[in-house]
Amino acid sequence: MRYLRNIRWGIATLSLVLITIFFLDFANLVPPVFISSILSLQAGPAIIHVLGGSGLAIAGLAVILAATVLVGRVYCSHICPLGTLQDIFIWTAKRKFKHRKFPYSKPQYLLHYGISFIMIAAAIGGSFFILNFFEPFSSFGRILSNIVRPLLFLLNNFAALLLSKQQMFLLYEIPLKGLTVSVVAATLLFLGGLFWLSFYYGRYFCNTLCPVGGVLSLVSRLSIFRITIDNEHCIDCGLCERVCRARCIDSEKRQIDFAACVGCFDCLSSCPTVGMKYAFKKTKEPPQAPVDDARRSVLAAASSGMLWFFAAQQPAPAAGPTYEETRRTPVVAPGGRSINQFTSHCTACHLCVSTCPTHVLQPSFFEFGIAGIMQPRMDYSVSYCNFDCTLCGQVCPTGAIQPVLPEEKKVLQIGKTHFVKEDCIVETKKNDCGACSEHCPTKAVRMVPYGKLAIPEVDNQYCIGCGACEHACPAAPRKAIFVQSNAVHGVAKKREETKLISPVSTPQEFPF
Amino acid sequence: MDRRSFILRAAGATVLAGTSSAFGNLRLFGEGMWESTPTNAFDLVAVKGGEPDVMFVKGIEALGGMKAFVKKGQKVVVKPNIGWDVSPERGGNTNPKLIAEITRQCFDAGAKEVVVFDNTCDNWQRSYKNSGISSAVTGAGGKMAPGNTEGYFHDVTIAGAKNLTKAKVHELIIESDVFINVPILKNHESAKLTMSMKNMMGVVWDRRAWHANDLHQCIADFAAYRKPDLNVLDAYYVMKRNGPRGVSEEDIITMKSQLISTDMVTIDVAGAKLFGADPADIRYIQIAAAQKVGRANLDQLNIKRISL
Repeated sequence: MRYLRNIRWGIATLSLVLITIFFLDFANLVPPVFISSILSLQAGPAIIHVLGGSGLAIAGLAVILAATVLVGRVYCSHICPLGTLQDIFIWTAKRKFKHRKFPYSKPQYLLHYGISFIMIAAAIGGSFFILNFFEPFSSFGRILSNIVRPLLFLLNNFAALLLSKQQMFLLYEIPLKGLTVSVVAATLLFLGGLFWLSFYYGRYFCNTLCPVGGVLSLVSRLSIFRITIDNEHCIDCGLCERVCRARCIDSEKRQIDFAACVGCFDCLSSCPTVGMKYAFKKTKEPPQAPVDDARRSVLAAASSGMLWFFAAQQPAPAAGPTYEETRRTPVVAPGGRSINQFTSHCTACHLCVSTCPTHVLQPSFFEFGIAGIMQPRMDYSVSYCNFDCTLCGQVCPTGAIQPVLPEEKKVLQIGKTHFVKEDCIVETKKNDCGACSEHCPTKAVRMVPYGKLAIPEVDNQYCIGCGACEHACPAAPRKAIFVQSNAVHGVAKKREETKLISPVSTPQEFPF
Repeated sequence: MDRRSFILRAAGATVLAGTSSAFGNLRLFGEGMWESTPTNAFDLVAVKGGEPDVMFVKGIEALGGMKAFVKKGQKVVVKPNIGWDVSPERGGNTNPKLIAEITRQCFDAGAKEVVVFDNTCDNWQRSYKNSGISSAVTGAGGKMAPGNTEGYFHDVTIAGAKNLTKAKVHELIIESDVFINVPILKNHESAKLTMSMKNMMGVVWDRRAWHANDLHQCIADFAAYRKPDLNVLDAYYVMKRNGPRGVSEEDIITMKSQLISTDMVTIDVAGAKLFGADPADIRYIQIAAAQKVGRANLDQLNIKRISL
């Protein structure tokens, strides 16, 4: 039984390392199909994905639930990267304070289930306000995407600079554009809080705030294999309680609250006798939570409910079409289908942000409303959407951005272009420009005669809203051409033009 | 410096004193003298009817071979057009076969290093890869260098410029011994046609500044900054409309032509005629000729025409 801890260590490390690589792979070396397969085992995104109806996620979720029914919440210590991150913090705590222990504390099941229920219900209702702060995979993703990745870029850029002096271009500088201060601050706050909680209280987050932990805790009540204390062999040494990071072992009463157990198997390794068993066994149900606990849970639930109500309030629709207001609605990535579809499935893990090769996908904060906190949007001040790229839809683990075929993407209209002649260089400086039309991959923006000059003309039936024109526009401080978001994505027309005929041979060999 | 090269340089400097493109022409002239090839070095070589690499082989021969431009141990920077994430058949980027051949010939001439880059419009990694240029260059032993962030670009001043007096230029252009400019001929919504002078926009960091301050004037201004030692205009696949990115292969005609010259104005005038446009309609050519960046009157120039 002691080998179980080593297996856990191996799987958890693998899961943590793989997910870290996925988020830091800025050169897009990992095949997207591998990423999406591995991430189908992430319970939070899988639940959201299944609610939206997806094959791969259903398989992933089935595996997680089956494992939980069979052997308990092993997910929390094996697959969940945020769980492993907390284990690293806990390990640090134990290293620093040799005798640090996390004594038994009665699990607050009702509080936990209440919080989880509210988060999931709110998400189904369309508000990701609370869920997006606590969904473990997404929280871990944001730590990588918004904190670790920029640090890696800085390190890389320093190395690239040194190497380029030696004419070595293996590494290259990566622009640190589009970092959202509010998102970085929120992520740092979360990371600090998580460190503090796990340092002093073990896996408290997993048994109080984590919505995935809540669901799996409920499911683990059905578990067939359970860890129990064998009264015959137990010598009351209390070592198991001392090592338990979930604080679910009451060594005095020789009882284990198995629904709070995260399946790390440290207790099995710690037992000096054979007093701990992990076996097929029907134990008596965990004791009901005392009344005061329940009352507290109800209060918590009620207050969270109010929070949800507040969160679900969409921002008031823009009143007048001023320049700023016409640009206020964020543009959803191709594959998001509509603002509604996207915002009601995105847990803000920021994997698309990390994956996007042009960096046009950047985290929002409140741009999608409070309910869509931190969900990514297209930021054309940073870059524009590559015409042939469909990576974001291929890696998105929740189905918020759905996979689209390259040919479908090339006519997928995520917004329409709006041209303001009064702000255009051609009008203000009386000079030729044409940067917008130059960059347009569909030639929805064309230059038409304007006196002796040429000025842009937009034909939105061909526009896909990629933002190339907006990004290239040199007009400042206001762009003369920009994309207005499509609330529901449309289909653009493809420009059909006759094939030009190549000259066979001209009588005059050269025209000069 | 040994005696021989001193004499050559002195001779070249005397002959070409007063022109700012001394280095490119000097080598050409010096080599011609020493190997006693015909002294009437060509101002422009036009080739027609072959594959891009074959046309270059024939064309550069007429100019005394790559050895006339690249000396042993020199560092060469090659600047193709790699602006767009499109395949070679789309005619948006310089033909990879041509870039491979140029890279190969630079090494044959004794180059220490051949480095290729562009400040692309579309995502640079995808453009490098899908243009076929990245694999063409590395296959020929050269290196691809990034031009995607401001850190690689350094402030320079441009003497005699009207609008573009300052720019940030890629360090490879500043540091390299030999600069070979390899544009592609195509239609361009902003500049009408893009050829050698327009291709220079990819060696600077801030292109928006050009667009915002009279594009044609800026193109002509920058042409005086650092004249390439050699310009090779790729006109194999030619985009006749919807440029510079193009919408599909329907926009392309196969022209199977190539122009080579050390003079950007000369090659752009010839390129415009090859395209079927009137050089007088393209303002940056007119401004550059007026600012004495190069010679526009093809009638007075020595042109070698090769049909394969």
